Amino acid sequence: MSIIEKVQYIWPEIAMFIATCVVMVLGLSPSLAIRRLCSPVCGAALVIAGLLAVMGPDTAPAALPHLMPYAKVIVAGVGLLLLLLLAGTVDREEESLIATGRARFNPLRTNRAEFYAFFLFSLTGVMLCASASDLIWLFLALELTSLPTYIMVTVSTRGRSHEAGVKYFFLGALGAATFLYGFAMLYGGTGTTDLSGIRQHFAEHGINSIAMLGLLLSVLGIGFKIAAVPMHFYTPDVYEGAAAPVSAFLAFVPKTAGFLAIMLIASLPGWGYGPVAGADGVIRDGLGAGASLPEALRLTLWVMAALTMTVGNVLALWQNSVKRILAYSSIAHSGYMLVGIIAGPVGERFIDNGLAAVLFYLLAYGVMNVGTFAVLACLEKSGGAALQSGARSTGLETGATTEIETVDDLRGLCRTHPAMGWTMVLCSLSLLGFPPLLGFMGKFPLFTAGIAAGEIPLVIVLGINSAIAAFYYLRLVAAPLLEDPSPASPPATPTPFPARPMAALLSAASVLILVGFAGVLMKQSAKAGETVVSPGHTAGRGASDGVAAWNP
Amino acid sequence: MIGVAPALNGVIGALAQEGPAHAATAAGPAWAALIPALPLLGVVLCTLCAVFRVKNRLPAVLTVACLAGAFGLTVWMFLTTGHGTAVTTSLDWIRFHAAPGHEFVSSWGFFIDPLTCLWMLFVTGLATLIAIYAGEYMAGDAGAGYSRFFAAFNLFVFSMACLVMADSLVLLFLGWEGVGLCSYLLIGYFYKRPAAVAAAKKAFIMNRIGDVGLMMGITSTWVVFGTVEYAPIFDMISRGVDGAGNALPEWAGWVIPSLFTIGAFGKSAQLFLYVWLPDAMEGPTPVSALIHAATMVTAGVYLIARMYPMYVLDGTHWVLTLIAWSGAITALWSATIGMAQFDIKRIMAYSTVSQLGYMFAGLGVLTTTGAAFHVFTHAFFKATLFLCCGAVMHGFAGQLDLRRVSGLWSMRGWAVVTIAMLVGCLNLAGFPFTAGFFSKDMIIAECYVTPGMAPVGWVLLLTAGLTAYYTFRVFFRVFVGPAEFEPGDEAHAHGPAGDDHGHAAGAGTPSSVDSTDHSHGFHPHAPGLAINFVLGLLAVLSLAAAATYFVGGEHGWVGEMVHHSTAGVSGAALPGGGAVHADLETGAPGFLGYNPHAVMYYVSAAVGLIGILIAAFLHGPRGVGGLLIGSRRHAATSRADALLPVLGPVARGAQHKWYVDEVYDFLIIRPIWVIAHLFHLFDKLIVDGLVGLAGWLPRGMGGAIRPTQSGHLHGYAVGMAGGVAVLLLVVLLVAW
Amino acid sequence: MLATYLPVLLILLMTITFATANLVITRLLGPSRAGGSVKSMTYESGMNPVGTARKRFNVRFYLIAVVFLVFDVEIIFLYPWATTFANLEPGSQDSAIWLGRIMFFLATTVVAYLYGWRKGVFKFD
Repeated sequence: MSIIEKVQYIWPEIAMFIATCVVMVLGLSPSLAIRRLCSPVCGAALVIAGLLAVMGPDTAPAALPHLMPYAKVIVAGVGLLLLLLLAGTVDREEESLIATGRARFNPLRTNRAEFYAFFLFSLTGVMLCASASDLIWLFLALELTSLPTYIMVTVSTRGRSHEAGVKYFFLGALGAATFLYGFAMLYGGTGTTDLSGIRQHFAEHGINSIAMLGLLLSVLGIGFKIAAVPMHFYTPDVYEGAAAPVSAFLAFVPKTAGFLAIMLIASLPGWGYGPVAGADGVIRDGLGAGASLPEALRLTLWVMAALTMTVGNVLALWQNSVKRILAYSSIAHSGYMLVGIIAGPVGERFIDNGLAAVLFYLLAYGVMNVGTFAVLACLEKSGGAALQSGARSTGLETGATTEIETVDDLRGLCRTHPAMGWTMVLCSLSLLGFPPLLGFMGKFPLFTAGIAAGEIPLVIVLGINSAIAAFYYLRLVAAPLLEDPSPASPPATPTPFPARPMAALLSAASVLILVGFAGVLMKQSAKAGETVVSPGHTAGRGASDGVAAWNP
Repeated sequence: MIGVAPALNGVIGALAQEGPAHAATAAGPAWAALIPALPLLGVVLCTLCAVFRVKNRLPAVLTVACLAGAFGLTVWMFLTTGHGTAVTTSLDWIRFHAAPGHEFVSSWGFFIDPLTCLWMLFVTGLATLIAIYAGEYMAGDAGAGYSRFFAAFNLFVFSMACLVMADSLVLLFLGWEGVGLCSYLLIGYFYKRPAAVAAAKKAFIMNRIGDVGLMMGITSTWVVFGTVEYAPIFDMISRGVDGAGNALPEWAGWVIPSLFTIGAFGKSAQLFLYVWLPDAMEGPTPVSALIHAATMVTAGVYLIARMYPMYVLDGTHWVLTLIAWSGAITALWSATIGMAQFDIKRIMAYSTVSQLGYMFAGLGVLTTTGAAFHVFTHAFFKATLFLCCGAVMHGFAGQLDLRRVSGLWSMRGWAVVTIAMLVGCLNLAGFPFTAGFFSKDMIIAECYVTPGMAPVGWVLLLTAGLTAYYTFRVFFRVFVGPAEFEPGDEAHAHGPAGDDHGHAAGAGTPSSVDSTDHSHGFHPHAPGLAINFVLGLLAVLSLAAAATYFVGGEHGWVGEMVHHSTAGVSGAALPGGGAVHADLETGAPGFLGYNPHAVMYYVSAAVGLIGILIAAFLHGPRGVGGLLIGSRRHAATSRADALLPVLGPVARGAQHKWYVDEVYDFLIIRPIWVIAHLFHLFDKLIVDGLVGLAGWLPRGMGGAIRPTQSGHLHGYAVGMAGGVAVLLLVVLLVAW
Repeated sequence: MLATYLPVLLILLMTITFATANLVITRLLGPSRAGGSVKSMTYESGMNPVGTARKRFNVRFYLIAVVFLVFDVEIIFLYPWATTFANLEPGSQDSAIWLGRIMFFLATTVVAYLYGWRKGVFKFD
């Protein structure tokens, strides 16, 4: 496929890229009015990208032919929420100094241009992941997603975020090295980097050892993006170190990219590959006639899923910092979604299609996750400078305020800040999977798809973990709703950025309102989760009629 | 009513064919529903009194009015119904489809036949009188528990009316449970006293054991007959078919009666289940008189009498034989305990158990008439006796120990009580020509008529002697002789005495207190007008009950009533034909070769007199009061004290109620307690432990892997690389 | 045969001319200052290359290094493109695509240049 053909699929990305270039320059203008255009331009870019994605071609010659529009639209949508939330994350002190005339504009001291540019870069990377048709493309897209986030973490706050950024960067490099190694072995095993080519190779020649090792390493390495065990270590430290809006960004954007990449990688052998009993009774991996992923890949993902949700949940129990709780819960949610990847497209119906479940869950998780982090981002308390371990009082800060941090800080929030309190309650309940909120709508198909795929033990693990998760999510519900404000800690005050509460309220509202549109969203995600029949398939598991005939 | 009509017609037809026993059946009067409704109104009114904190005796007045109205209606019902059988349906109560084409129906309807009338007459009549009595007796509680007392009292009468008048077993069960509840509420009336609470609990639990039997009996009836309504059931029994029209299964003839009998044993304090009744004396005395002597405890007798056609289904009658024997044993057993007690109310309680034993024996030997007659007479004289005891208790501040009160006759204002007591005692002792004499006679005589039941007769005869002894022991000790008393502990604290009278008595060294010892400043107050009026009236009624023996048919008025009810035992009604009773002409067993019916008058009169004389000799005071053979000079001592060392363990055993409570405690309560504690341990360690573990495990796991989150970059890097390596190794080993 | 190496010779000549011309023009146009220890160092605008490497130095050097790398590395990409582009048939669709690609690439370089300029990395004060 030539570049001309490819361009029609990546108009959203191109739009985003252009906006990035514009933002990068605008943010460095000495004029405050122009600098302030960064955020609107980003918003416009996201809207345009979303529209382009909708208007773009519906079907692409890929394993997941309808994935692109859906993935790009949810990225643009949740990206808009994140954009609102990111308001004021960087340059808050610098801008106030300039505004009060104590300093002159110095482009070297401000980060606004880079921050918003990287924000768009990262989202562009996610969209490119969805468009990827080649291993190299996929790698570059994944790194385009991740590299900006390293910077975003580092510049988001003073002090702790630097340590978090460094950790994130080095560990991210290790993760990237792992899946790059995997990609290299896939190339070595199949002789091509083209995803369709690899699929064809697998279909015709089976999976040789090198390619299999490549698959496993790729999945394990991409595990870093979705914070899956054993690549999860960085998560709590980085989320805690970064400012809450950036944490929200981290919990959604690289995770989405990772899941899209894992879907693409898993679709190389396909879900119709797994072990089947041959005529001689011996069970072996079949050539497209089986009923699951190749056994080794399935087992890897299985162990990753089970460990990820368990580790995430049990560690969250010990935390007192809301951000760390949410970080561990983010790990756990990746574990849940891996169940959908393992299940794969069992049937055409939404509840039978694990990929559709994952795609839907990504949207649900993005929305409710933004809500919880937004509450943290919207409130700050004074006198918390000591909490920020590395923060040196430079005298430049406009009063030492920090984000609210612990569960204690959330106490009585429903009375002191009702909007924030209820957002926390709703989003936490939704994350818990409390019916009938959006989180429940998201989690339910993971169960059904898992059952449909016959992964009963994993579904049981999923169920147990959902119960464990209730322990700490209910803490987040009970503290604002039932408890009295803690007299010991200083009262929380709202941050002076009206966009942040807007993001919080939009998320909370979405958790409720999107339930009403769940039917439409499920239909769209079911379509996005459709896979084509692998070459050589005699009986497809989840192929829809419209694309079954397509053959690369 | 419409639904019942066809079945009823069947009954009419069947009964008309079966013989003279059931002369006529008609649609009952709709106003019969007012009989239970009036006490229910009383409940509402008394509750309102409680709500509005009425401080005077208004609840008593309302109660008496309601109950008197109910009694009046009952009399009217009796007069209009006569000897016929009537069924009336007030409203559909329970109706649902149990099976295709088969409905479970239990309407709120009433089955009115002479047996119902008989029971309702003395229930409502006695309830009215006792309510009048209680109005004065409970006056000390006016404003506090007064309304509560009368609300429960009314509720009891309502429940009893449901029980007796029910036209189905389900409604009967409702009443059955209702009276149990009221019994519980009223025994525990003084809920601040642990003994009362314990007694209430005991009564309730013991009754539940019986109730299981009744409930299973009702369900079995449903299984066999497909209905729980009397009319169709009796119709089917008379035709010998079950609900489906097939021949009755053989087991129905003994399983259902056995289950009903268990229920009856519980409610009527028979055999193993009697222990709650003596303890129930913790309740206020009017309650003891009405519920635990006259009416509720006869519910078991009523149940068996009502379901009698079912009992005679089985040709071998072994259930009835069992009932007869258990009745006789209960009678003897509790009589022996009664002989050795010192608490006069408890003595009366044991005598109640004993007399109930007579009634069961009567049922067992196929004389429902005798049983019902005894219920009828017993209701009056036992109510009299209890109310007399209550008057004593009331007057002497809760004193019930017969060694501490003596010579009431010689105290001012106690004449009516003494005379009423004498009448009651004579009845209970079976003194010739009293009502108790005739009713007891009938049962004992019938024992000798029924084949194989002569030993029961002998036991009952012996018991009659013992009964006469312990009855008059009370009379001679308390009501005649030197005037002495020692007030009970209510002189110091409000509330009836605790149950420790008997225990104090067990010490055997009662302190003699002469009438000059008024150091506590206590003056006994003689009963007032209401109590005296009720006692006098009841005494008269107790005597008058004897007259009913001479009106009506062969067995008196009661016999006539029973004969025309479902409890009527006629030869034709029995599957075995008329050969149940021994044919005396053919020389079957009689009483020592004589016709029992003829000689029993003399024999039982003699036995009763001997008992009375022994009591007089052992306990009677010098002079006329002791029938000239007594020698007692003090309240506390008597000739019987000399017998104690001779009898030794027997006397001690009887005093301690044969240690039945202790045996139950050891055999049942302890093991259950131990098992309960084991289960509790299981719950605590295993169930709670598992729950706790479920909560702790995730946290523990988290704690265990928490050190991996050290915050050190190199640690994380090693973790990631190592994790990938281990995972790959595992996957390669397992799946490759 | 010798003609093959002509371009090399040309480059050599151009380099020498460029360097010499620069030196001469600087000499002629630039203000002359008295020599000093820094002034006499090999890399006058850089840091002292002698001594330990573990010492603090101005962060601006990083910026210069990064900017240098960006442009330097980008220029390196031009060589393989140039050699391949020459083999394409002129006017064909492929050549257009290849031209488009490199133009896009160069556009990003321009954006990077613009960014660096606005950021002030070229200011040495």
